[in-house]
Amino acid sequence: MTAASNPAMSAVLTDSELRRFGRHLILPEFGLAAQQRLKAGSVLLIGLGGLGSPSSLYLAAAGVGRIGLVDADVVEETNLQRQIVHGYATLGHLKTESAAARMLDINPDLQIERHDVRLNLENALDLMAQYDVIVDGTDNFPTRYLVNDACVKLGKPNVYGGVLRFDGQLSVFDARHGPCYRCLFPEPPPIEFAPNCAEAGVLGVVPGVIGSLQATEVIKLLTGVGSPMIGRMLIYDGLDLSFTTIQIAKAADCPVCSHPPADIELKETAMACSAPVGRSMSSSVLQSRQQAGDDLMVVDVRNPAEWLSGTIFGSIGLPMPDITRALRQAGPPPLPKDRDLVLVCQSGMRSSAVIRSLVDAGYDSGRLYNLERGMAAWTSDVYPPGAKNLHRERVSN
Amino acid sequence: MAILIVPSALRRYSNQQTRITLVANTVQELLERFTHESSELRNYIFSGSTLRKFVIVSKNGQDIRLLDGLLTSLGVNDEVHVVAGVAGG
Repeated sequence: MTAASNPAMSAVLTDSELRRFGRHLILPEFGLAAQQRLKAGSVLLIGLGGLGSPSSLYLAAAGVGRIGLVDADVVEETNLQRQIVHGYATLGHLKTESAAARMLDINPDLQIERHDVRLNLENALDLMAQYDVIVDGTDNFPTRYLVNDACVKLGKPNVYGGVLRFDGQLSVFDARHGPCYRCLFPEPPPIEFAPNCAEAGVLGVVPGVIGSLQATEVIKLLTGVGSPMIGRMLIYDGLDLSFTTIQIAKAADCPVCSHPPADIELKETAMACSAPVGRSMSSSVLQSRQQAGDDLMVVDVRNPAEWLSGTIFGSIGLPMPDITRALRQAGPPPLPKDRDLVLVCQSGMRSSAVIRSLVDAGYDSGRLYNLERGMAAWTSDVYPPGAKNLHRERVSN
Repeated sequence: MAILIVPSALRRYSNQQTRITLVANTVQELLERFTHESSELRNYIFSGSTLRKFVIVSKNGQDIRLLDGLLTSLGVNDEVHVVAGVAGG
């Protein structure tokens, strides 16, 4: 239940808060009652990245009483292009710790609860049940579906934001009053159609726009002021600078919200084609085998622009589209079939899809290895942050 | 004639054009014309003859599932959006 739906839920403001929130208090549509409801309200921010950065700052500044922070990652230099709640001073710190310090600096009356974990099937319901509103600031499809399904089961509003490249999306999914995320997108895209920001890029300010709008929706839900974006989706095009609103509706055959909440069981949402094919190898094992002089061919399937942030010593670069094209054209094989190949991308998803394509084209799955968690693991586990090794050749067709 | 609004992720298939005008009487015809030169693009939007489950299409701001689906009729200056789920955050 949101604070707005229960008028009894309000909180007394201190003298300091009355001064700080003066610009809210003089808004006729907002006023003291809405500010008190904000203080009585609680929000769970899932993900403290590009979206969670502005929403955490604005919700702290606005006077929400209790905010939970869910993130298990630490602050990295590559985050700072868009994750404005963090900074150089907190590099290497847990994101929850970094964000909490900044939020308390803005609003010392704020009650912050840190959850330094990844949201998963075991903890989702317990965590989310403790808060009025859930904010989806995650960066992958399986977690987004988990957030949605748990919100439907618990009867919580899910303030959704998603970004990629120059585009953003916003909606409020509340299955009690409108569609849920699965009504729109029943299934995630296959891996090859689902790049994340680390793979496809994102203009840093785009999550700033969408995360700020998520904070606006949270404030509206908690206070009852305005009309939350239930049953509508906002599409933001940063290149064209256009905002388009699409009316969306509950799907009668929705795989989740068409069922009674008590009957909903949380399940892992696998990405299509994610069933592993071939073998996998950890970063530390790859490093050991390279140092031992094993005959391994390391193939970096990322886009050339991604190689600028660092590559694995001795690897060759062959982007995924080049491999796919070569396999389709039935010409000479793009890679040797008589060597052990270690396929590498940013997170391990594209390389997994490449392995599947190679196996389909007749390569021996026993000689194909997927680097687990890709360059993300290599740079954090093996190679010092910031170091680069561009010594390698590019193979192209 | 209707107008297709192309998301930035798909603009490499529209010569970087945001809006393209195509001759079509239905949403299905519009998307067929947009995708007929690229099997990769077609495979992104369609699974066989139906829309992919991570793609929604709207006509003048309404999800076509609220209208007549792919058979939704189009007139001059009707605007069609193609929207795919994005996971970045």
